[in-house]
Amino acid sequence: VTELVQLEIEDRGEVVVARVAGELDIAGASSTGETIGGSVPTSAHGLVVDFTELEFIDSSGIAMLFGLARRLGSRRQELAVVARGGKAVARVLEIVEFERAAPIHETLDDALAGLSPASS
Amino acid sequence: VPRGAGAPVGPRRGTRAVAAPLPELFDLRVKARSLAYLFAAGALLGILTLLLPHEEGVRDLQLYVLAGIALAIALLVYVQADRIADWQLHLVLAAGTTILSFANYYTGTSTLYPLLYTWTALYAFYFFGLTLALAHVAFIGVSYAVVLAIQDPSSPAIRWLLAVGTPLIAGLLISRMLSRLRAERQAAQDRAQALRRSEARTRLVLDSAPDAFVTLDRDGIIRTWNAAAERLFGWSAAEAVGRPLRALAIPEEFRERHDRRRAELADSPGPVATQSYEVEFARRDGSRFPAEATVSKVDVRGEILIAGFIRDVTDRQRRQEERDALAREQAAREEAERVTEMISGMQLLVDAALYRRRLNEILSDVITRVPGVLNADAGVIYLVEEERLVLRAVSAGVPDADESDPLGFGEGFAGDVAESRQPALTHNPDDEDVRRLGLRDLDVNSMIGVPLLAEGQVTGVLVVCAAPPRRFVADDVTLLRLAADRVALAIDHALVYEREHALAVTLQRSLLPDRIPQAPGLLVAARYKPAAAEEGVGGDWYDVLPVPGGGVGLVMGDVAGKGLAAASMVGRLRSALRAYALEGHAPARVLEQLNRLIWTEADESQMATLLYVVVDPSEGEVRWVNAGHLPPLLVGDNGSPSFLEGGSSVPLGVLPFPDFEEVSARMKPGASVVLYTDGLVERPGKHIDAGMNTLAGAVADAPSDPEQLCDYLLHEMVPREGAPDDVALLTLRSIPMQDRFRFEFAAEPEALASMRSLLRRWLRHVGAADSEIAEMVTACGEAATNVIEHAGGGGEFALAGQAEGRRLWITITDSGVWRPPREGDHGRGLSLMRALMDTVEVQPTPEGTTVRLERTLEGSGVNRNGGPE
Repeated sequence: VTELVQLEIEDRGEVVVARVAGELDIAGASSTGETIGGSVPTSAHGLVVDFTELEFIDSSGIAMLFGLARRLGSRRQELAVVARGGKAVARVLEIVEFERAAPIHETLDDALAGLSPASS
Repeated sequence: VPRGAGAPVGPRRGTRAVAAPLPELFDLRVKARSLAYLFAAGALLGILTLLLPHEEGVRDLQLYVLAGIALAIALLVYVQADRIADWQLHLVLAAGTTILSFANYYTGTSTLYPLLYTWTALYAFYFFGLTLALAHVAFIGVSYAVVLAIQDPSSPAIRWLLAVGTPLIAGLLISRMLSRLRAERQAAQDRAQALRRSEARTRLVLDSAPDAFVTLDRDGIIRTWNAAAERLFGWSAAEAVGRPLRALAIPEEFRERHDRRRAELADSPGPVATQSYEVEFARRDGSRFPAEATVSKVDVRGEILIAGFIRDVTDRQRRQEERDALAREQAAREEAERVTEMISGMQLLVDAALYRRRLNEILSDVITRVPGVLNADAGVIYLVEEERLVLRAVSAGVPDADESDPLGFGEGFAGDVAESRQPALTHNPDDEDVRRLGLRDLDVNSMIGVPLLAEGQVTGVLVVCAAPPRRFVADDVTLLRLAADRVALAIDHALVYEREHALAVTLQRSLLPDRIPQAPGLLVAARYKPAAAEEGVGGDWYDVLPVPGGGVGLVMGDVAGKGLAAASMVGRLRSALRAYALEGHAPARVLEQLNRLIWTEADESQMATLLYVVVDPSEGEVRWVNAGHLPPLLVGDNGSPSFLEGGSSVPLGVLPFPDFEEVSARMKPGASVVLYTDGLVERPGKHIDAGMNTLAGAVADAPSDPEQLCDYLLHEMVPREGAPDDVALLTLRSIPMQDRFRFEFAAEPEALASMRSLLRRWLRHVGAADSEIAEMVTACGEAATNVIEHAGGGGEFALAGQAEGRRLWITITDSGVWRPPREGDHGRGLSLMRALMDTVEVQPTPEGTTVRLERTLEGSGVNRNGGPE
């Protein structure tokens, strides 16, 4: 019942931004993934998962992230992840070579800019 | 008459001198007139002898002159009779003798004139004393001797002797006779005087008597009327004597009765009869007075008198009336006191009814009070339990009542009362009933039983017994009914209360956490001690809950009020607080939500104090928000106490939008925090600050282990007989980190955050850098996650750490079988561990699996034992 994860989803039309804060482990990972995945309309160009405020992530969180990447990829939608370098989350993403699934940016702006613009 | 005996007899009535001379038989006037008649008669007799033919040789002219002189003297004496003196009488009598002597001389020797000397001699003897009379006789003798000498008759001696001797003898006889007469008269006078004196004394006695003394003759005429009668009736004796009493002093309507009684008394046989009457008399002024008349018939030498003492009893009546009034007042006061006592007894019963307490207490209270109210010797209370009457309480006078024998309705005296639902009074109690009540030693002569009725149902029977001299009457039944109404009410209240109390206790117990959630590195203990009096379930409550991030939330609250309502409010607060806290709201925000809950939803003005403390060991601080509760006590790692005074606001439910402020303080490892309710520190008659000071003083010597600390504080703070109010106590200790640690967690996802929190503290303690901490926490998390994923929602796992210099070993041990991570996403766990740690070993054993992680820290270890853990 611990709500370690705080999730904030912002629909910016073309792009959906999901800010995940707190600690993401097996207790909250799958539900967080479901929520984020469900919030991305098929019309959207892409999704940015912002881990700037995330303190902790484990393999459950990584699995959730890979799941999102697969799901978006099958719909031809793009995924970008924001994680500050040097922090624990970025370190884990680096270890599991998440870069191969989706780009990792230092800031949200970088991530938004990095998404291939569809119309703008 | 004994002269000396005549003491002076009072000035009022007076008396004559005691040494009185013999009384004169005749007074001077009688003497003078008799002398005058004697002279006149002598003169007339002399003249008559001259007128008659008489002898020659009588010188008539001289004799007429003498007769004339005698007549003149007679006339003079007669006229002067009232003024004449005694000596003048003697002179006149001597003159008479002289005239007779001249007459003898002028008549010559042949006549019988010497006989006339007898007249003066007898007069002298008759009217004068013997001595003076003899002197007159001597004068007669001398003057006749002179006459005889001048006349020179024949046989002069014979003539002299006959003329003088005859009156002498006759005079002596007369004198003797008169002397006796005088003596008798004297005696008569003495008797009369004695009588008068006696009467005077009697009169004096009667007059000085406080009671009126009245004598009447048989016609009712007043004969005696003493001074008291004068005073009493207003009539003087002079006015009253001789008049009928009925007219004077008897009110008109009683006059016939007076006549009748007087006649009855007078005609009653025997010489003396005494009667007493309570009568009413009238005074002279018409006013009336009550009197007691004691009357006697007195037969005084054939004359019937009625003598009566009359006593004014107005005073006595008034005194009697006063005594009666006093007695009535006394009786009224005693009655009032009895009633007061009864009413206060009733009031005690009412108090028992209103003061909510345990049934047994009420029963024992009531049964000691009821006999007092009714002045009974013993009393018992039966209560209906499962359709039968069970003896539940007995008064002092009932030592061996049979409690093992419940009565059915209609069985025995109490059973009859229960069945008929009507009070019963008997003066012939059945032996069996007396036996049941254990009253064999008491001579029970009357017994009252009344049903206890609550909302139309018989809930019991109240029986009281009396032994002589007490004997119940119908009024006592009424009284006992009144008492029973109150007793029934009290019992009903007690039953309702006990049900409610039991419910509230159950509810409250269910609201307190049955297991304190364990947080790594923190030890928590709690105590709840109900009040000694058990007057009602208090609104004290506490809770311990894990908060996101590995901290622990401590809650201590007090809902105003007691009983079911308070307990249910506690329940709502607890649920709401858990919900808000676990959503991750900041403490101040949690309290705002709770305040809104109470403010908007509570049907009446509910109020609750609440203290919410969050201890985050990995941060090394304590944060709290206080809504009107007593401040938590922080006990430093060196034992120094300090109250966390800040962050106080109003209690919940007081203001719609109060400002709750979150405050924080450093909390070193080894420090403790103590939360409590006012029951711990509040004592009647003492300021709460005193209690808080005592608490602060007590923790200085207290053991540091939370469980022991709780016991110690309860022992130190709560009186042996129990606190007047409920006491809730919650203690938390942040365990100081060692180079080694071991902690067990439930094998469930929720434990992971706590595990990470503990691990961070330890890693910080042993000097790991932040990045190293993050990596190792992630690695351990992977190991733990693997355990949890395969535990299937049960079991536990242990996390242990060991540091030797820069080398760290961390082991995660479970009790299940290690399953190799599945391929795919989850396979990353093992690779993560391997990437983040120097070595990773998985050691499956029959008892379980141990994952052993090893890593050597970089850096110089300056962080060790410094900075926040």
